[in-house]
Amino acid sequence: MSTSFENLSVGDTINGPKFDVSRESIRLFCDGSLDYNPLHLDDDYMKNSFGKTNFGGIIMHGMNNFGLITRMLTDWAYPAGAIQRRLETRWLKPVKPGDMIQPVGIVKSKQLTQNSRWVLIDVLVRNQMDEHVAAGEAMVEFPVSGSIAV
Amino acid sequence: MTQAPGFETDFWKDANLRKVWDEIVPGEPRKTIPYKLTLEAIQLYCRSVGEDHPLYFDEAYARKTPHGGLIAPPSIHILLMFACTPTDDWMRTPGTINAGQSWSYNKPARPGDTITLQARALDKFIKRERLFVVHDNVFFNQHGEVICSGRGQTIRPA
Repeated sequence: MSTSFENLSVGDTINGPKFDVSRESIRLFCDGSLDYNPLHLDDDYMKNSFGKTNFGGIIMHGMNNFGLITRMLTDWAYPAGAIQRRLETRWLKPVKPGDMIQPVGIVKSKQLTQNSRWVLIDVLVRNQMDEHVAAGEAMVEFPVSGSIAV
Repeated sequence: MTQAPGFETDFWKDANLRKVWDEIVPGEPRKTIPYKLTLEAIQLYCRSVGEDHPLYFDEAYARKTPHGGLIAPPSIHILLMFACTPTDDWMRTPGTINAGQSWSYNKPARPGDTITLQARALDKFIKRERLFVVHDNVFFNQHGEVICSGRGQTIRPA
């Protein structure tokens, strides 16, 4: 059954894509995002401590999580004619080369407004140890008319 | 690997010109630069997160959708943030830690768009000895339409 506003229920899950993190994937994200911060490139630099934190090596961009969550949400929303309208995230744990991460979404609530219909979704990214590396909340609009289903 | 032409990938360059936490004035507009968003840049970003939707890759498919042509994924602002800021902008300071983001999306960006950014630090604070800045960003297309707006928090290197 395809996703529609009517048939969505609180607690429904959206399974996002698995993503293997490697030095190469991080390097490619540098090129894709133009974020060449040495946090993501320079092992020698990462021997330093940052405030009270020592990462022990290069780390994945936090925004790589954000991009992966977006991919999950849009791949889910586009076929239903729905639109990703908001995404809020925070990072809980650094992600490193060798990790495998996967986002998941859980429908939290549905809301009608004067002109439209909205679904709030809790989002979470887990690593291969089942640890939470990122969390947040998304808002997806299911327009009443003028559907833009693709 | 394709990158934006002329983009300085050495973030240590001009590091001494960038504002440190003490010098950042909340409310003061940041210097930004218009950026021509190419299909190549969109698709390179897409590949880096495994995006493969035909709306980003297949012109014939995209033309038949209500979008009427290829678009960029909402998260393209990740790229736009660096593309629209100069080398002496403090977002590039080595050791800048991203502490969280919230973004609202209005219209998709499209290949060929000229994107402009209005940005400022909105607030700064100290929490558990860490130096935070709250960022406020709005991206526009060449028609003056808002593409997306967002707020981010970074922890500044001490």
